[in-house]
Amino acid sequence: MMACMFDPITLEILWRRLISIVDEADGSVARTAFSSLLRDAHDYTCMFTDPMGRELAQGTFATPGQSGAMALGVKNLIRKFPKEYYKPGDIFITNDPWALAGHLNDVCVMSPIFYKERLVAFTSCVFHHSDIGGRVASDNHDVFEEGLFIPLVKLYDGGVPNPSVLDMIRWNVRTPDEVIGDIRSQIAANHVCAEKICRMLKESNLDNLNDLADQIVTLTERNMREEIEKIPDGVYPAKGIIEQMKGKEDIVIQAKVEIKGSDIIVDLDGSSGQVNWGGNVVFNFTYAYVFMAIKSMFVPDIPNNDGCARPIKLLAPEGSVVNCKFPAAVAARMGVGHFLTEIIYRALSGVLPMSVIAGSGGTPAAMNVFYGKRGDGKPWHSVIIRGGGMGAGAVNDGNYVYIFPANGANTPVEIFESDTPLIVEKRELLIDSGGCGKMKGGLGKREVFRVPDDEYAPIPPVNLGIQAGRYIYPAEGLFEGRPGTRAQFLVNGESENSYGLTQLKPGDAVTIDAPGGGGYGSPFERDPEIIANDVVEGYVSIESARNDYGVAVDPFTGSVNMEETDTLRKHRK
Amino acid sequence: MSNKFYRLGCDIGGTFTDFVLLNDRTGEIRTGKCLTTPRDPSDAVEEGIRVLERSTPGFVAEMDELIHGTTLVINSIIERKGARTGLITTKGFRDVLEIGREIRYAPYDIFAEFPRPLVPRRFRIEVDERVRSDGSVLKTLDPEEARRAVQMLLAMGAESIAVCLINSFENPVHELMLEEIIKKEAPAVSVSISYRVLPQIREYERTSTTVTNAYVKPLTEHYLSRLAGRLESIGFKGKLFIMLSSGGVTSVETAAEFPVRIIESGPTAAVIAGQYYGRHFSIPDMFCFDMGGTTAKSCLIQKGVAGVVPTFEVGRVQRFMKGSGLTIQVPVVDLMEIGAGGGSIAKISKMGTLQVGPESSGAVPGPICYGRGGVDPCVTDADLLLGYLDENYFLGGEMRLDKEGAGRGVEEKVVNPLGVSFIQAIWGIHDLINETMAAAAKTHIAEKGGNPKIVTIAAFGGAGPVHAYGLAKKLGAPRLLVPPNAGVGSAMGFFTAPRAFDVLRSHKVSLADASFAEIEDIFRGLEEDAAKILRKEAGDDVIRFERSMDMRFVGQGSEVNVPEASREFAAAVKDNVRRLFDDTYEKLYGRTYPDSEVEFVNFRVRASLPERLLQLPRLDGKGGQTLADAVKGERLAYSPTARQFIPYTVYDRYRLFPTAQFSGPAIIEEKESTLIVGEDAHVTTDEFGFLWIDLQGAR
Repeated sequence: MMACMFDPITLEILWRRLISIVDEADGSVARTAFSSLLRDAHDYTCMFTDPMGRELAQGTFATPGQSGAMALGVKNLIRKFPKEYYKPGDIFITNDPWALAGHLNDVCVMSPIFYKERLVAFTSCVFHHSDIGGRVASDNHDVFEEGLFIPLVKLYDGGVPNPSVLDMIRWNVRTPDEVIGDIRSQIAANHVCAEKICRMLKESNLDNLNDLADQIVTLTERNMREEIEKIPDGVYPAKGIIEQMKGKEDIVIQAKVEIKGSDIIVDLDGSSGQVNWGGNVVFNFTYAYVFMAIKSMFVPDIPNNDGCARPIKLLAPEGSVVNCKFPAAVAARMGVGHFLTEIIYRALSGVLPMSVIAGSGGTPAAMNVFYGKRGDGKPWHSVIIRGGGMGAGAVNDGNYVYIFPANGANTPVEIFESDTPLIVEKRELLIDSGGCGKMKGGLGKREVFRVPDDEYAPIPPVNLGIQAGRYIYPAEGLFEGRPGTRAQFLVNGESENSYGLTQLKPGDAVTIDAPGGGGYGSPFERDPEIIANDVVEGYVSIESARNDYGVAVDPFTGSVNMEETDTLRKHRK
Repeated sequence: MSNKFYRLGCDIGGTFTDFVLLNDRTGEIRTGKCLTTPRDPSDAVEEGIRVLERSTPGFVAEMDELIHGTTLVINSIIERKGARTGLITTKGFRDVLEIGREIRYAPYDIFAEFPRPLVPRRFRIEVDERVRSDGSVLKTLDPEEARRAVQMLLAMGAESIAVCLINSFENPVHELMLEEIIKKEAPAVSVSISYRVLPQIREYERTSTTVTNAYVKPLTEHYLSRLAGRLESIGFKGKLFIMLSSGGVTSVETAAEFPVRIIESGPTAAVIAGQYYGRHFSIPDMFCFDMGGTTAKSCLIQKGVAGVVPTFEVGRVQRFMKGSGLTIQVPVVDLMEIGAGGGSIAKISKMGTLQVGPESSGAVPGPICYGRGGVDPCVTDADLLLGYLDENYFLGGEMRLDKEGAGRGVEEKVVNPLGVSFIQAIWGIHDLINETMAAAAKTHIAEKGGNPKIVTIAAFGGAGPVHAYGLAKKLGAPRLLVPPNAGVGSAMGFFTAPRAFDVLRSHKVSLADASFAEIEDIFRGLEEDAAKILRKEAGDDVIRFERSMDMRFVGQGSEVNVPEASREFAAAVKDNVRRLFDDTYEKLYGRTYPDSEVEFVNFRVRASLPERLLQLPRLDGKGGQTLADAVKGERLAYSPTARQFIPYTVYDRYRLFPTAQFSGPAIIEEKESTLIVGEDAHVTTDEFGFLWIDLQGAR
């Protein structure tokens, strides 16, 4: 059959349509999901692929880690079976970390889509479930300790439900109603996607998506390659050092980024070996954040699909921390995996200074899992994910407060408090936390949680599992920009080890400070008027303005004392 | 029915104020247009009414209602020209407004921009108080401290104060205390408390909505009270209504209290008119395109119905992307608005390329050609120089345009710095603004599941018909529809807007535990409330009630709306209600789970009066007999196909008659707007004077 070419306008319309279909499925999750991690924090990704497993579109608000890993993972899963294997009404489920998104909480539900009795696409979604059983901590020794492992099995076989699978899950998780409800929400999201795709095929008089898929992927690849070709060939190295919990060695990532014509080869040879705790990253997840860096630098505005991935080749030695082997513990894989993006930026900052940002406080994404029992014995459970200040770029201050390079939303305080017995006493920006620079790093954030000790007191202990980083090594600046402030974890004002599980009693208060982003360029080149405004609004203290930026701001008028500023800056040059 | 028989629709845009006067007895329609007077918009309203009175003496006393919409509110947000606003919030939560929801709306764009909060950080004051999530008070607010917070904001010069405290939707006691203190200590300062504006969980969305209300409240209050006063002084004794963003109409008092609900009031009128035309002419897919002086508003209307959404964003800062604007949580017609209008300014970007909009010169100073002191070349200047507008027939000749001045401005600000030809510059301005609108339109249409290649574009607004042809070409749309008086046509929507009120009450209870008698009481109470508001206007009309319930599985984060048709809920059977829910859920999400418990969250009532029908007036035969009668002459205008100025035939729209048809290139002039069509267009006039333009180039 001859491939039919769509004219540019039709192509654009159908392409946008595919994306808006995934977005609709994405939107349905917020309406049907149970856990606040999904409905409020948006820790899920919907996408769909052609029958060969090539990614065609993903939700606009996708989480890069999930989507990048899915792009590889779903392709592999689909290709495991011949086409004839799939029947209308089949729905698959798995949370195999090596097959998909790198830890057990990320559960994938995948459905083939049939149109006119032919397989035309697959729709799949990965949700970060609030619980998957196991011991909730980053210091487990292998994946068996981390919870329930669901291999690829059928939830529905040709439309007939397989209740044993859901039963098996129900009895292995702490919050069964929430988890089962959220799996149903995944089924609903796939349903929305499938229905709209069939409608689109019908309205557009198409029998399948194959020609459209070819054209989208080819066009995207061509665009991506054109951008890469503009960069001089060469090998650009960078190194990242990632701190670990007390008593554990730092993890080192070595990256060599090679530009060769329109290809990019990223080689992570020389990185640390896999570890005996949860920081290990599966290949798919490593790939996802390498991809995130490259995509954001070269074609940030082209919708994601298989074509973006084609010029990229990733080499990661098996058995290393960035390509761990089963049954390594992987629960805290974001603590290492998220750093890959900034390492790639650093490697290419010399050749693409306008396309990168400094280190970000939202790397790695931090997660606070709270759980326990209310005074009446009822169990409760809630998760807050959070970021930090983003790194500054050549012409912009760092945004705040964002998870980066992953993505996600905060849980509103009012939602958190209605789900838990805790009181949130603060959620505010941290003054002076952004790395100084010509462009300032994004501010970090302080949150304070209190366990009530009055008639609302829960039955102790209140458990708090934290995954975070940057307690020792802050987000670095670029081109003379300074680092942002470090993360902090305090219990009743005392600094505590925040890796692993913390147990709290009534009356305790914990303070969690998110780190600031790195600055870009010399702080002594920052416009004094902008600093004066930073001081007036309370983003930068008057002391920091003077000491770190060499700008004298009048405490009464809030205006710049130019004469004094000139003197201060002269000395610093 | 009232014995008064005139209705006046009035739409205050950023640049022009439009009027449509309808005589309900004869169906006769008269229109008017004058420049908006931003310092006091009621000046323009009075001026416009006086002009209309010349042709329809004495109508003011015979006016039953004046329905009115305005873009003043939204423009003051987009242009950041609202009141100096302070925010009082719970200790520890000063930055809620700035932190927002923390999601990156463009995950792969590391340079994405976010909007600045309407209240700068130093104007956000904390008070030491706290309400728990169940509504009990954890920390009582000390009235002295509350007073100090208010005084501090007053000392800083706050003109309006927003109050949004954590968990106040469950117990507003501290918000009410602050409200009272503000009213007592500073009666002149306007106050918005979140419990009244949006009693809904989620602090960021509630704060953002409340702050926006506060930001525009002084300006809206001031304007509406002046307007009411002025109308009274010129003898108006009818009812004054304001259009809501949701497509209904409301009283002046409600609008002044909750201006955040009338943000989209102006653009909504065009959508309501569009819905009416869509149904009248049975157009399955219509793209309603309303381009005025400051912004362009569009909406996809499918089978005569536009969508309504519960939340929207104002002032998106990045390529119209979702997530890049300020969140407002009130019901609104699902329309898209971008900064593209006749007043959009053309300038050179940082990268040395041409940029048009979103900055606008507004009504004052306006484009250079208005001769009111404008120095920046605008889209209207380019349209004039391209020959699309006639300097001697703008607003029917009431306003002479300065073509030379416009030319000098373009020369100086675009031609010289860019080093392009004059024609490249003026066509570039026109084409670029079309491209901007087309890109946004494509996204909007696709999001709604439509296809731009089959839509009929209905053009409204002063600049709509000037740019609709270019837009259609870019979208590949096959057909244009230009209603009579298109330049003010959106104001027609005021007459077809439903007089409807939506009321809601939250009451969370599981289906199993619910007392249906109690729920029946809730419904009856809601119906009474809504009826009270409508009764004044109802006369002999019967008020219609529609009941519905928001329900969900216990533990879910949001609800599905389930219609409830019975008028006697106390007698309803639980199994049937459950089935209604399951049916609705299954339709939306494919499967339902009869074993999982469900709960009620909100009960809603929509009360409405029968639609007051609008008879489309037929062309009255005052037009010409032959096409030659309608031809005014010929004018050189730019053709992008020929890439040069070519003769366009100029038609007088008022002289066109049913079945009159002709081909492009043509310019069809009416008082408030000018329609431009290219060589490949074929224009047909119908019996109502609507112009239908088929684009042969389109497939």
